[in-house]
Amino acid sequence: MTLAKLRIPTRRRFLQALLAIPAVAFFRNIRQSESDDMVEVDGWILKRSDIL
Amino acid sequence: MIFQDAAAYAASGFHPKVCIIGAGPAGITVARKLVAAGIPSVLLEAGSNEWTEESQEAYKGVTIGDPYFDLDATRLRYLGGSSNHWAGWCRVLDSYDFEPKDYIRNSGWPIRRGDIEPYFNEVRDILDLTAFRPDIPVTESFNWFEVIKSDPVRFGEKFATELEVSKSIAVVLNTEVSELKGDGRSVTGAKLWSRGAPAGVIDARYFVVATGGLENSRLLLWSNERSNGGVVPNAASLGRYWMEHPMYWTGDALITNQDAFEIDRDGDVFFLPSPEVLARRGLPNFHVELETLPFKGAVKAFIAGMSCAAAPETAEWVSKKLGQRLQCTSRVRMAWEQAPHEHNRVVLSATERDAAGVPRIELHWKKDELDRRVMLEGMRLFGEEFARKELGRVHISDWVRDGSDYPDGMELAGNHHMGGTRMSNDPRLGVVDRNCQVHGMSNLFVGGSSVFSTSGQCTPTTTIVSLALRLGDHLGRTISGS
Repeated sequence: MTLAKLRIPTRRRFLQALLAIPAVAFFRNIRQSESDDMVEVDGWILKRSDIL
Repeated sequence: MIFQDAAAYAASGFHPKVCIIGAGPAGITVARKLVAAGIPSVLLEAGSNEWTEESQEAYKGVTIGDPYFDLDATRLRYLGGSSNHWAGWCRVLDSYDFEPKDYIRNSGWPIRRGDIEPYFNEVRDILDLTAFRPDIPVTESFNWFEVIKSDPVRFGEKFATELEVSKSIAVVLNTEVSELKGDGRSVTGAKLWSRGAPAGVIDARYFVVATGGLENSRLLLWSNERSNGGVVPNAASLGRYWMEHPMYWTGDALITNQDAFEIDRDGDVFFLPSPEVLARRGLPNFHVELETLPFKGAVKAFIAGMSCAAAPETAEWVSKKLGQRLQCTSRVRMAWEQAPHEHNRVVLSATERDAAGVPRIELHWKKDELDRRVMLEGMRLFGEEFARKELGRVHISDWVRDGSDYPDGMELAGNHHMGGTRMSNDPRLGVVDRNCQVHGMSNLFVGGSSVFSTSGQCTPTTTIVSLALRLGDHLGRTISGS
């Protein structure tokens, strides 16, 4: 399973922050939020569109 | 008038109508308000006009439960009280902080914010504040709000000259009240301890206890024990329902739209949840603070700007190796309201006493599951709305998510001592009534944050001064009317 690239260039800075997280840890903890549009990845609260 | 001890005061022949115990923000404010009503008062201060180790020693005590500040470090015992180390941050409790909530047991005050609003102009004069700015909605459930970071007023310094020349206020330094005497209907005198020895008994028509959010409980507990219930006849809640504002760094944030809200001169920005979302989630009040400049200094800022954009984790690792502290994200800090619990309480030590023979404090204080829940749910709520509005992204620290122990080395709490003599219409659930009068006692009142029924999320000083003005006003009218 690989990390899908963020399609939108304006999120480059955010992507850099995510890439700084160790790859092994990245997939350790994914929590489905109560809201359909949000997901929590290793403590980061993200929009679903951030990781699609 | 300022007297250096009880002997000097006794020789003056001054006859006060009101005896105010404690010359901190609350005590000084009540005394000044009584002057306006033409009512003379004596203002007893256990300490000197400056810090001394001897005076501070009386504040030693222990905390049982969660780690807390040393009790002789979290408060100050000299003229001006704890205003002498106050940071100056100001905000008044919000309207809904006064209202009962069916999801927080024992919440609700017998007064409303409207009962202290008439005093806000005076509060601003006393604390040298600008006008409070309105909150601004930023997301669906969070408002930006201003914390006025004022130049902190040291009450003993600001009002020194006024107290010195006043003919209506007699400040007596180096003089503590070791015990109030009472007969279950009224206080009949205050036993004094001055310069290391008993100093007689002072009499007045009315007494105001304003020794701070820990010491008020201590004095009343001891006085009540010594008088066999004669000072606080309804003592079920005396010392109980004690609250702090826990404060911890709970995560990080990347802000991608800094134009959406105002960041203050220190690089901080504060957000407050709506009462509706708090009710929906069953949460006490809290605030989220983003510290956008967790590092200080032009050089660090430049390095951070260069390196954080490229590889944030590397930049932080390198800086740590160099012995510097560099953080590439904004740091998230939360402070929150604790639910009022009976078991969080001020108790008298069974074994330890100070030089005046008064038992020292044992503070029983423990955070619980609600404290953990407000952190985690608060962060999730805020983070989701922050992302949804494209303001940035929030990261919740591991220890908040996995329920690990509260970390060492963080701020821990606000040095805000609230409750212990809380307000309630029910004498079983409170020590004082809506006028800060001790239930069942005709002439005993309490000033300061110990009367807080609940704590809200904001710093208490502004509300303390508001309540003290209201108390002084009430006393003035009561005494003048009689």
